[in-house]
Amino acid sequence: MNNLLDDYALSSPLRHSNNWIKLTVVAAGVLGGVSAASPVTPLFIAVCMGFAAVFLAKVPVKFYLKLIALPLGFAATGSIVILFFFGTGYEIASIDTLGVNLAIRSQGLNMAVLVMARTLSGMCCLFFLALSTPMVELFSVLKTSRVPDVVIELSMLIYRYIFVLLEVAVSIKFAQTVRLGYKDLMSSLHSTAMLAGTLFIRSWEQGERLYIAMDSRCYDGKLAMFSSKKPVKAFELVLTSIYIISIITISFATKNITIV
Amino acid sequence: MHVMEGFLPGPWWQIWFAISLPVIIYGIYKLNELIKDKRDLLPLLAVAGAYIFILSSLKLPSVTGSCSHPTGTGLAAILFGPAISAVLGLIVLLYQALFLAHGGLTTLGANVFSMGIAGPVIAFIIYKACTKAGLNFYIAVFLACALGDLATYVVTSIELALAFPAQIGGVLTSFKAFATIFALTQVPLAIIEGAITVLIFKYVIQVKSDVLIKLNVLSETGLRKIKEMTT
Repeated sequence: MNNLLDDYALSSPLRHSNNWIKLTVVAAGVLGGVSAASPVTPLFIAVCMGFAAVFLAKVPVKFYLKLIALPLGFAATGSIVILFFFGTGYEIASIDTLGVNLAIRSQGLNMAVLVMARTLSGMCCLFFLALSTPMVELFSVLKTSRVPDVVIELSMLIYRYIFVLLEVAVSIKFAQTVRLGYKDLMSSLHSTAMLAGTLFIRSWEQGERLYIAMDSRCYDGKLAMFSSKKPVKAFELVLTSIYIISIITISFATKNITIV
Repeated sequence: MHVMEGFLPGPWWQIWFAISLPVIIYGIYKLNELIKDKRDLLPLLAVAGAYIFILSSLKLPSVTGSCSHPTGTGLAAILFGPAISAVLGLIVLLYQALFLAHGGLTTLGANVFSMGIAGPVIAFIIYKACTKAGLNFYIAVFLACALGDLATYVVTSIELALAFPAQIGGVLTSFKAFATIFALTQVPLAIIEGAITVLIFKYVIQVKSDVLIKLNVLSETGLRKIKEMTT
């Protein structure tokens, strides 16, 4: 629970590269993946982002693979539905269960594979951003892109308090666990509710104190932020351009490739 | 229940962004108005947002054994109303995408609509209707949270069904298929979340009930009635 991706981002070697170029890479990957017509482009993007995360951002391979396995579970359940219910075309396989004939058709299979590939590429892009860019850097991006001040302010305070509350939650949970608070379903229900209730009260008090502290320091609705200038390196620019161009060419060249 | 990045094809992810955007803008407008009026609310809202994030990263005891977590949307809707819940939901969903890899960026619009808008709105309406009808406060909270959760899950199924209609029977058939598959985890989850939210409120009323009066969740007479009932 206290293993947030942000921790990796803060110690990542890519932390000090330009934010906009990282965002461009991720945006190109996300948009390229989601609008791809064949599974080849998303897989290419996934492999590129995976390499970037492991070799450029120096994320441990084992940790990275575990990370990817989690969201794919959701994608798999959704894809099963698509597999059986979507599309036309000739039948590849069919199962008779309880008098209902479930058939996998060629279009359905293609779509299911495509959606799985898209999800994989999207997750890899997201992980690349999460593992290389700490939230603090994204706030200055938000500020230059004219997001309303209230939202940025709220996001920054939420960000700060996530860590404060997380610490409280983890220690309460430890204390409950060693007192056998999670030994069966009923007691874990009670423990979870008690943890959440206490956390609510704690956070409320925390918030009142925060207001007093900020008010006494003349808070007027704007927190000043320091954003250091990070020039784009030529190497990064070349790599990004090659990446984007290859996404475009691959997605045009493999437009008509399907599984069956 | 989050829709993962890349799962929704175009034009559906753009459509959900377009639907969610006006609500978010209205929420921000509401938020600005509220903060102009009561400046001490911003830190409280921030802490509430962080609280929702933490709540959603807690693992719930689940019957089916899958990894499930509370959404906290029902709680937020009862405490702050649906408009502000939508803005908090947007920020929390963005953090979940970036910190925990739940959800995604292109699917953010769809997720905001199902978890930040539809769920809280339903929860809020049910909560208000139940209190108007004079139902017990705890029953109202349970119904609001459980049904709000179910609304989120139904809306997510609709979002997926619209994007991937079945070849025979169209959207309705694929909606049934998605809904059945997700019902396995979502229905017990909704009941558990309702129960937990009730226990949370019970605990808060015992320890720090003035908070609920400040937020207009309960009137003073209502609070006294609940306290008398439990003792």
